[in-house]
Amino acid sequence: MEIKIPNEVMELIGKRGIKEDDVKDVIETAESSNKKIVMGNRNLAKKIIGQATVYVDYELEKGLLKKHATVKSAYSHRLMLGEIVNATDKSDWVCAHCNEPALYGHVAMTYMQVTRNGPAVVCPKCKDSWVEEYLATKTLAAVEGLFEKKRA
Amino acid sequence: MSELIGKTESLCPECLKTIPAEKIAEGDKVYLVKTCPDHGTFKVLIWRGVEDYKDLERYSCVKSKPEKIAVKNSGTCPEVCGLCPDHIQHTCLVVLEVTNGCNLKCPICFASANERYKFHPSLEEIRKMFQTIVEYVKHPIAVQISGGEPTIRDDLPDIVKMGKSMGVDYIEVNTNGVRLAEDINYLQKIKDAGVDSLYFSFDGITGDVFLKTCGKDLLDTKLKALENCQKVGMGVTLVVVVSRNVNFHQIGDIIQFAKKWIPTVKGVHFQPLSYFGRYPSMPRDDDRVLLPDLLKAIEEQTKGELRADNFIPTSCANVHCDAKSMSILMEDGTLFPLTQRALGPPRETSQIAKKTRQEICDLWRYIEDSISSSSEEDLDGTWLGFIQRAKTHYLTVSTMPFQDVWNVETERLRNCCIHTVTPDGRLIPFCLFNINSINGKTLYRHEIFSKYRKG
Repeated sequence: MEIKIPNEVMELIGKRGIKEDDVKDVIETAESSNKKIVMGNRNLAKKIIGQATVYVDYELEKGLLKKHATVKSAYSHRLMLGEIVNATDKSDWVCAHCNEPALYGHVAMTYMQVTRNGPAVVCPKCKDSWVEEYLATKTLAAVEGLFEKKRA
Repeated sequence: MSELIGKTESLCPECLKTIPAEKIAEGDKVYLVKTCPDHGTFKVLIWRGVEDYKDLERYSCVKSKPEKIAVKNSGTCPEVCGLCPDHIQHTCLVVLEVTNGCNLKCPICFASANERYKFHPSLEEIRKMFQTIVEYVKHPIAVQISGGEPTIRDDLPDIVKMGKSMGVDYIEVNTNGVRLAEDINYLQKIKDAGVDSLYFSFDGITGDVFLKTCGKDLLDTKLKALENCQKVGMGVTLVVVVSRNVNFHQIGDIIQFAKKWIPTVKGVHFQPLSYFGRYPSMPRDDDRVLLPDLLKAIEEQTKGELRADNFIPTSCANVHCDAKSMSILMEDGTLFPLTQRALGPPRETSQIAKKTRQEICDLWRYIEDSISSSSEEDLDGTWLGFIQRAKTHYLTVSTMPFQDVWNVETERLRNCCIHTVTPDGRLIPFCLFNINSINGKTLYRHEIFSKYRKG
């Protein structure tokens, strides 16, 4: 498995406090378990590492001998994802694990004992869910920042 | 059993001479013990909870010296203050007194307003004080216009405009609210001139409290002032002078009251009665409301909605000077505290002074405005809704007991970040500025202000 992280992506994940090794870990775990969502050759995988859930958005090309992954982006959140609250709208994502279409819906998300809902891509069959980049880097980052205020 | 846990210096309550002092732990209490060669030994209770007292040292931040100071020589703290090279913290908030006149005559008043002489600086003298501030204090610059009662001045809007035009970033007005209750146009004028919020004295939720603290029942006036603030959109911090036998039992009720006035009310600041200026009698240890006493009362009287553990030092002043909590008001009307002692001290302590100035200027707002939702999104029960709510529905509950001649420590004075600006171009720690001996003599307040008297 060859994983390529372009310079501009390296810079971005550095700013977000994500390590290169974690990015590789997420991709390798997803490729061996097939737990990810896909849209064409685009893949979104996640893994809980330490206190964070790390997401990697990557493109995959299957070579003759090994697969090549090119990382498009990576992000993380520290809220814990819980139950799927609803699954309402069609999406272009497909759950690679069960091969069913994934849907847009809402998921319970918990941080510091407070639970609220947030939008996510969900697979009702696998009961799994994925937070998209816009939500993780804006709303959820603000939530985490707010709770972090108490420290400093 | 007594244990020496620290050495510092203090002042003699009789002659104001600087004298050595020891901090002694006895049982679970911490005392300051000091001896004046001429006036004997004084023993004053300063803390309840010895372990807590020691544990707070963890919150001590990296101190940062003021870049510019008015006094060149060191070694004369606290007799020659201005600040001097011994001072080890930046200015976070400057108190600028624009009069010692007042439209009330309260039995309790740290400023001894309406007494002895009239201090009522001209606009030119005020301009000089603003000049001192912008020269000596780093941005963002936060100023509290105080007194006396600043709103007795018809030219207060001009004073505010002057400060803002000279580079002051944030201005709050310390007020009893009497004029603001009577005259909403005046309130609108000072808001339009640039007042960012009010530091509004509010001692209780029943008339009898005001009878004791202000000499008359001001409850309706206070409520009217709050209504007017709501109308014009002026943010308010309720300031409660806490006294054992006056309003100590109303601490919880005042927090509940404040919740009902969110978002007009941004915070509640509890100010345990200190023994300077006009005060009714000589202090007894049992009368004193110490910082830990206040936190315990908050926990008990809010039935744990806010716990003592939710209060942390700002780390800007000395760790034994203040404590604050920040909470979000949830949809069901309960406070959700964001601060917790268990989470440990701040990780980044080198920029605390700057951070504190920024927080004061933002009215302790917890969240930036940049995150917003598209209008069609349903916010109910979502994190985005939570964030939107947190922008306006928050409450900061804080306390900072002043030091008086009995419990003052020079070490805490040197850590101080709240400074009074004087017409002779100095910045002096607020407590030190106001401290007076049992005979009413001050080291700074009357000595400086009486030189600029207008009658």
